[in-house]
Order: sequence, then structure tokens, then C-alpha cells
Amino acid sequence: MAESITLQKKARGERPQYFADPAIDKALSITLALAGEVAVLRDRIDTIERLAESGQSPTRAAVDAYVPDAGVRAARDAWRDSYLDTVLRIIHQEREELEQRAADTKPYAAVIDEVEAGG
Amino acid sequence: MQTNQDLSTQFRHGVLPQTTSDEFSRQEFVKSLKFHLASKVSLGNQNAFEARAKPAFTKATGGAPETYADIRRAMSDDPYYNFWSAMQRNSQEMMWKSVQIPVERQLPELIAKAGEASGAGTLRLDPEMEIPRYHRGVDIHCMPGGYHTEFTADDVANGAVYDSAVYIYAMGRMGPLNSDIGDTTIAWIKENHPDFKPRRILDMGCSVGHSTLSYCDAWPEAEIFAIDVGAPVLRYAHARAESMGKTVHFSQQNAEATDFEDGTFDLIVSHILVHETSNAAMRKIMRECNRLLTPGGLAVHAETPPYRDLPAYDAFMLDWDTRNNNEPYWGASHELVTADIAAECGFDPAKSFEAYQPSAFEATERRTKVFQGGDFGGGGAWWLWGVQK
Repeated sequence: MAESITLQKKARGERPQYFADPAIDKALSITLALAGEVAVLRDRIDTIERLAESGQSPTRAAVDAYVPDAGVRAARDAWRDSYLDTVLRIIHQEREELEQRAADTKPYAAVIDEVEAGG
Repeated sequence: MQTNQDLSTQFRHGVLPQTTSDEFSRQEFVKSLKFHLASKVSLGNQNAFEARAKPAFTKATGGAPETYADIRRAMSDDPYYNFWSAMQRNSQEMMWKSVQIPVERQLPELIAKAGEASGAGTLRLDPEMEIPRYHRGVDIHCMPGGYHTEFTADDVANGAVYDSAVYIYAMGRMGPLNSDIGDTTIAWIKENHPDFKPRRILDMGCSVGHSTLSYCDAWPEAEIFAIDVGAPVLRYAHARAESMGKTVHFSQQNAEATDFEDGTFDLIVSHILVHETSNAAMRKIMRECNRLLTPGGLAVHAETPPYRDLPAYDAFMLDWDTRNNNEPYWGASHELVTADIAAECGFDPAKSFEAYQPSAFEATERRTKVFQGGDFGGGGAWWLWGVQK
């Protein structure tokens, strides 16, 4: 067994802080890493199902060695995109709200006034 | 065996790191996250600007934001922009981690394979070469260790890391060989200088040779030379080229001052090199191009568009990397004026040029057609600038 070599994991340079509380920066990083690991597990289940469907035994070795073809990769891309729609729901909700506001910057209070005035 | 015909995944040349199915899935997730951010989340920033940041800036300063720097100030406290930025930064860090895991696991084998590389090409390293300050200050684009750090003897780790990561970073839109910038530069040269037959070509800042190898096919009679400051990327580049049967002479040299003789090259190219140097270094590089070129020879540098060519909001979004992705020269390099640089560096400014060339690789359905941070290769064109001697 060759000696293991450890690579440098943090890039040199000050990391920007994006939120007032640095704990939020950390929590977001952990959340995104977990989202990634769920996607990895989902691919693993998908691999097991595909191996079983093709009559192969879904052993650990077979799963680890599985190489998805172009069709499987495209199907997984599509799954991940809708998965990210779900995970990032609150971001997409804000985006949609901002889109509406950008299109019509009229304050909501003005709409109430209009309705109350009988418009 | 995957063939070069599969355009939807990275080409498996002889030294590309292998991945287990989980490692590959982790990399694919990062690629999907980047594409999701670029195609579905990033556009909300413009709405945040129009609906929220712009009116607030105007109210506070008495005037609407006009320049990209104004827009940066206006957006600096915007919660949507900051959350997107934070996710974008994380996608970058997750990308490096996802490619480091398999490289770390198989590094001894990769080093052994690189050591066995043989063919008509050559590799010349210079352990005494001083790594430029602009590569030692911070790790550019957050790649831990940059192009030059060696973690063990005869190291190729960061060559392998960079090769795998660029495919994810560009979301496959630079093709199976990550060669789109080279292919696009070649297309421009052939369209604009149809009779040009370079005998010797130099690729400056070649890293692992993503663009370099395209020149072997474009001008098969030419001798191809390529330089970089990083030994790990050069060892890997040499092994990668040999595994694909391409003949390139790689050497570890700083493009500011090389050991080639005057008038050695008919064509000198660089691909996304300039923005990773400095204002002083890029001028030295252009003076070195002047020394190394034959009369009539061409220097062509490929980059993303200068800010003056973009609407202020787009320039602000393209400038994201300067402050969020360890690209300290990104912003200033996007302000360069070719004719001025040419004149300063001894060329005839009348023979300088700036051009846009559509991407050679077809990836229409995955291109956003905008130039923005975190969307590298999404614009569908490269900006080329340079000069004829």
C-alpha cells in the first residue's frame, strides 16, 4: 500500500463572509453539502434499480463500478434540476416575488387604495 | 471504451482520474448545482436590482447607479444577491473538493502513469523558477494550491484536479476535451488569416494543455511549444498529450521572460492566461511576445469580454469573480485597451485587434448566452485580442 498523500483543502485567501452572522455562512455550506449527498444516495438507489432491472446482482462492487451512459446521465440531470427546484424553493419564491415587483414596482398599499376607492 | 464521439461527457484520456460511481455522482451534483444557479437563480439578481437595490441607491445618493461599480455598491447589501453569491462560492469550493477526493485516492498511480509517458513530445522542468507573486498571493479561482504547489515528489495532483474541475466548471460546454477556447481561437485565426501557416507556435500559460492540443491538429506541420509556471500541471499535460498521441514541447517558464531565442514563433497564443497575471506582468508578457514573434507573426489572447462592451449590469455580474472567486486581476484585466497595450509594448497599435468569435463547440441548449460570474463558457463566444507584428 503506497503512502497516502493529503492535498491542501482550503484555498489560500480570505473567504468572503456573506451573512451578518458567520454561523449562517457555515450552516449554508453544510446544507448544500448535505443536498449533494442526498443526490449521491439517490443516484446509488437508481444504480441499484437499473442493475436489478437488467438482471445483474446489485453488489457493492457492481454499484461502485457502474458507469452511467448518456441516457442515464441525461435522466439524472433532469432529476437533479427538479430536485434543486424543490430544495431551493424559498429562493425561487423570492425570485418570483422580485420578478413581479420589478415588473410592477407599484406598492401594494397603492393597490389597496385603488380597490378601496372602488377601482 | 468511451470514444471522442460522446460529446456529453469528459473524454477519458490515459491520465484522467478514475471515479467510483459515488465520486462521479458528487461531481455531477456540483455541475447540476452550477447550471441551476446560472440558468434559474442568477437571473433573479437583475430583478432584485431593479425592484429593490436601484431605488434604494437612487434615494440614498440622489442619482441612479450608472457604472458597474455603482451597481456593485447598490447590490452589496441585497439579500437575494448575497445568498446567490454565497451559494455560488460554495459551488466552487464543493467542485474542488469533489475532484480532490478521487485524485487523492489514486495519486500514486497517476504519478506512476505520468512518469511512464513517452512519445515525440518533451517535458522540461525548472525547479529553480520563481513562482510569480500573483500566483503565490491567493489560490486563483479557489483551487487549493494553485497550479504550482507540489504535495509530493513528481506531483501531478493539481493537474489532475484542474482537468476534472474545468469540465464541471464549464458544465461540459467547452467540449469533451475542455478545448473550446483553443478551438475558437483557431477558428478566428483561420477565418481572418486564411493563408497563415505558422511553423512554430507557443501557448503561454497552457496549464494541462486543454487548448494546446487543438493546435497540433489545426497546423499539423507546425512545432507546438507550451509553457506554464506550474510543474504539476505540466507533468500532467505532458502525460495527457502523449496518451492522446499529440506532440507538444512543454517547459516550465514564466511568460514574462522565457529562454526562447528572438523571433522563434509565428504564432503566440494564450487562453484565459491574462486575467491571472497583473497589470505589470501582462505588459512584460506582451513585450516578450514582441521579442519572440517573427515579422508578420500573431499574438492572440482569449478572454471574456471587456466591461466597456457590456451593459453596466452585465459587467457587474461578470465582475463577480474579482471579489468572490480569488481572481484579483479579473476586474482590471477586463479594462485593458488593446491598442494602448500594443503601443506601450513596442507594437504598431494600428495592427492590434479586438474580436468576438462564436464558440466552436456546439452546446446551444445549455448556454445562457450571458457573460456572468459562475457561468463560464455560457456566453457562447470568446473575446480575442492581440496584435500582428
